[in-house]
Amino acid sequence: MRRWILVAGVAVAALLATACGSGGGGGGSSSGSGPVTLTIWHNYGTEQNATALQNLAKAFHKLHPNVTVNIVSQPADNYFALLQAAAVSKTGPDLAVMWTGLFTLQYKNFLTNLQGKIPAADLARIDPNALKWTSDQFSSANGPYVIPLENQFYIGFYNKAAFAKAGVSAVPTDWSQLFAACKKLKAAGYLPMTYGNGGQPLGAEFYPWYDMSYMMIGSYPVNDWQKLYSGQIAWTAPANAAQLASWARLKSSGCTNSDVLTKTNNLGDFETGKAAMMIDGTWDTQKFTQALGANVAAFVPPFSSAPIKGVVDYAGDGLSMTTYSQHQPQALQFLEFMTTPQAATIINAAGLIPAITGTTTSNPVNQEMLNFVSQQHLTVYPMLDNVVQPEVVNTGSKVLPSVLNGTMSPSAALQNMQTTLGQLPASKRGTSYP
Amino acid sequence: MSTVQAAQQPAATAVAARPGRRRGGSRLARRRRRAGLLLSLPAVIVVVALLGLPIGQAVYYSMTTWDGISATWIGPSAYSTALSDPILWRVLQNNALLLLSIPFAIGIPLSIAALLHEHVRGWRFFRSVYFLPTAISWVVIGMVAVQFFALSGLMNSMLRLVGLASLQTDMLAGQRSALVALAITFVWSMLGTNTIIFLTGMATLDQTLIEAARVDGLSRWQIFFRVTVPLLKRFIQFSFVITVISAFSALFSLIFVMTNGGPGFGTTTLEFFVYQSAFAQGQFGTGALYGIILFVIMIIVGLVQLRLIRSEDGEGW
Amino acid sequence: MTPLTAAGTGRPTAAVTRKRLRMGTLFALMAVIAVVMLYPFYYMLNNAFRTQSQFEQQHGHSAVSWRQLFTELPVGRELLNSTIICVTAIALILLVATTAGFAFAKLRYRGSGTVFLAVVAALMVPLQSIIIPEYVNLGKLGLINTYLGAIMVYVALGTPFATFLMATYYRGISDDLIEAAVMDGLGYGRTFLRIALPLSLPAIATVTVLQFIQIWDDLLVGLLFLQNPQQRTITVGLAALSAGRTTSIPVLMAGSFISALPAIIVYLIFQRHLIRGLTLGMGK
Repeated sequence: MRRWILVAGVAVAALLATACGSGGGGGGSSSGSGPVTLTIWHNYGTEQNATALQNLAKAFHKLHPNVTVNIVSQPADNYFALLQAAAVSKTGPDLAVMWTGLFTLQYKNFLTNLQGKIPAADLARIDPNALKWTSDQFSSANGPYVIPLENQFYIGFYNKAAFAKAGVSAVPTDWSQLFAACKKLKAAGYLPMTYGNGGQPLGAEFYPWYDMSYMMIGSYPVNDWQKLYSGQIAWTAPANAAQLASWARLKSSGCTNSDVLTKTNNLGDFETGKAAMMIDGTWDTQKFTQALGANVAAFVPPFSSAPIKGVVDYAGDGLSMTTYSQHQPQALQFLEFMTTPQAATIINAAGLIPAITGTTTSNPVNQEMLNFVSQQHLTVYPMLDNVVQPEVVNTGSKVLPSVLNGTMSPSAALQNMQTTLGQLPASKRGTSYP
Repeated sequence: MSTVQAAQQPAATAVAARPGRRRGGSRLARRRRRAGLLLSLPAVIVVVALLGLPIGQAVYYSMTTWDGISATWIGPSAYSTALSDPILWRVLQNNALLLLSIPFAIGIPLSIAALLHEHVRGWRFFRSVYFLPTAISWVVIGMVAVQFFALSGLMNSMLRLVGLASLQTDMLAGQRSALVALAITFVWSMLGTNTIIFLTGMATLDQTLIEAARVDGLSRWQIFFRVTVPLLKRFIQFSFVITVISAFSALFSLIFVMTNGGPGFGTTTLEFFVYQSAFAQGQFGTGALYGIILFVIMIIVGLVQLRLIRSEDGEGW
Repeated sequence: MTPLTAAGTGRPTAAVTRKRLRMGTLFALMAVIAVVMLYPFYYMLNNAFRTQSQFEQQHGHSAVSWRQLFTELPVGRELLNSTIICVTAIALILLVATTAGFAFAKLRYRGSGTVFLAVVAALMVPLQSIIIPEYVNLGKLGLINTYLGAIMVYVALGTPFATFLMATYYRGISDDLIEAAVMDGLGYGRTFLRIALPLSLPAIATVTVLQFIQIWDDLLVGLLFLQNPQQRTITVGLAALSAGRTTSIPVLMAGSFISALPAIIVYLIFQRHLIRGLTLGMGK
């Protein structure tokens, strides 16, 4: 017995020793002008944004040789819970990738407001529309929490060759033109629109908020989207139900594949030219231009009964500084660097659209998207899922796909979303954003 | 049925032996109790400090708005608000339906273990192979399942192949059928774990009892149901508890990859609901609240089951 | 089977054919199940040898993703971290659970049944509801970003399961055997070490194998308690491959395959012990 306890004691002691020996990997805080390691966390996985960030760090290190940038990829699925936990124990990074919109506001208690910390001249270079969605009450005057990395579009892609072959001469701009185009494409042997769960975050079923954003663009001017947040416009409003009903007709009229929720290779369908249209986002542009060359082009999903007048052009993510960072001066330097033309060049080179005013991009399809705003003067909308409550987004993500699939009525789905909204405390559905 | 009696023999002797050992405060009995206390102490300390304490905290935080840093007290009304949410009840319905898969998740491995124990040709190989998928991450299992159940997937191709094309379905696109698909994947994923639990149990079987039953002329089925299963009762009970726990609290990743809780709320179980509505959004107070509800439900299911077995058996824990 | 014997003894031959038929059917059934169980491995390997676009189009093969895996992730380091954490945690779980399981099964004291039920009840604690309080508590002790912190959580999560299984197993050992050993003057401690522990090898093997997989594949604890990439486990490393919008599935498959191997090895090493216990006799 006694020997047994002794063995246990030795085991525990040995364990403590290994733990202490290897434990101190955390941020040893060194201040002053000596060498400094800036830690950045991101949830980019291996996508282009990660490349952009790496290259930004390299360029920054060249300008500030005493600052080493340590980039850590954190799992995307639990990223925000991790950031929040790390804020509790103050073991998090100096700079963290943050999503904009309500995400930023939800986590702002450990993010630094950058007004007055970054020179106004630097901030002025950034697309003002991008800064707006990272500020309190979504008003730029209150100062941003995030320096955006890129502008993203939720957008439609179409195959020019397919359109030509089917005799679709003009890109559809409303529901009826879309249905007409579908008919022609189908007759020519194409799958008009492909839906499925490829091109979505890992695993999730078909993600409906790209489409939903355009349905709500078709219904409301951009300033009215706040009323979806506050409940002044109920989700169950007839206008919304009508939009969803038209959307569901895409499948029932044969404009889509029959397995809209579960098709795993919808990206492949589009890349191989089998499908003529797909609703997706800028993160897949490069992939499509590689597979289809000059045949791929962007179009605004025409989910509207009048010609569609808006486009989702939104700085979805960027970097913010934690309040507990031990290297604030260096972290701010990095954020300033992100507003420079040099940074814009690096971001562009990674295939992204920099969130800098008057920017152009080298990918022609991405440039088409920018032209929707700069030349066709479409109204810029945010991503709807970033500006309505995450709880409602969750519910919508579950029920909306079934509407497209024809297994749930628009009104039932919208009722679910309305119920979720109603369960929220009044402070989370006010007439102004938090 | 002399063999069946024989099967119960060990338990009987144990019971008979007890009163003798219980007698008064003999020195031996006192030493035994002291050794028992001492040997169980480390486990108790671990459980109290690292599980009991946080549960207590979670109960407190469940009645607050807690984000990890600051908490505002709401009080017990937090529970009545949560319980009045119709979506919560929809979610609980899924948990209840998922329980229906438990008999399969236990019955199939039990039969497989019995077959392996009978040393079918190649049993060593099969024993290895059946367990291997348990080592694969949930993400992969989920992805394979998605491919398998897809309309253009393996399941439907096989149906076409055997001329049952009319039965093809897009299982993951319907609320109930997606839950069935999830349950099938779950049963599949429990196969390895439960099979080795039963194999472990069979290691405690007294082979002479089975031999005796065979000599008595019982058929294999009779031996299985009248000798093996009763002797494995404790292990079946154990695997029941483990299986329920897995169904209620270990399927998060699988659901995440297979369906993300949809379509509708078809595959959102309480565990997934906890995660999505609270943990992922940093509302740890709400997370704690749903977590406590889940905990209470699991305790009820688990303890009711332990009670049932205990009352039959006459000497519980 | 020569015709001669068949003619000589008619009935045994019928029995033999029936037996063969039965064994054949069983074998076929087992083989089908084996294919079903092995399919995910085929899926992993098939897609690991693809690029992302080959995966999307389900056409063509390439080894690029394997190279990418090793440049994206410090695979060796992460495997080492996982191993250190798994081995230590399991050793501690076994230490705590074999003793407690033995005590609950064989050395009952007043209230031991209730204590046991409380330990089993702890098995039902959903990780998501306690992990943040746990994180805050261990954070106060300065155990975030130490192996020890993560190990403590794993030990806590594994102990109820392991204690439950060990107790279940020890109940199958005859009381007389234990009593006899104690009468022989071994004492309870040594009786446990010399008699009970060797007999419970199958259960120990089961706990080891199942806990190994549980801990090895865990994401949440590793993610929260080991935030530094230097201490990160392979499972967290693989999860970091996935991104908000797109994930390179082939790289993930290659990583998942590598990550599955250690658990398989552990199982193959321990599986013979799953059966072996009975040859040592169960006190009969």
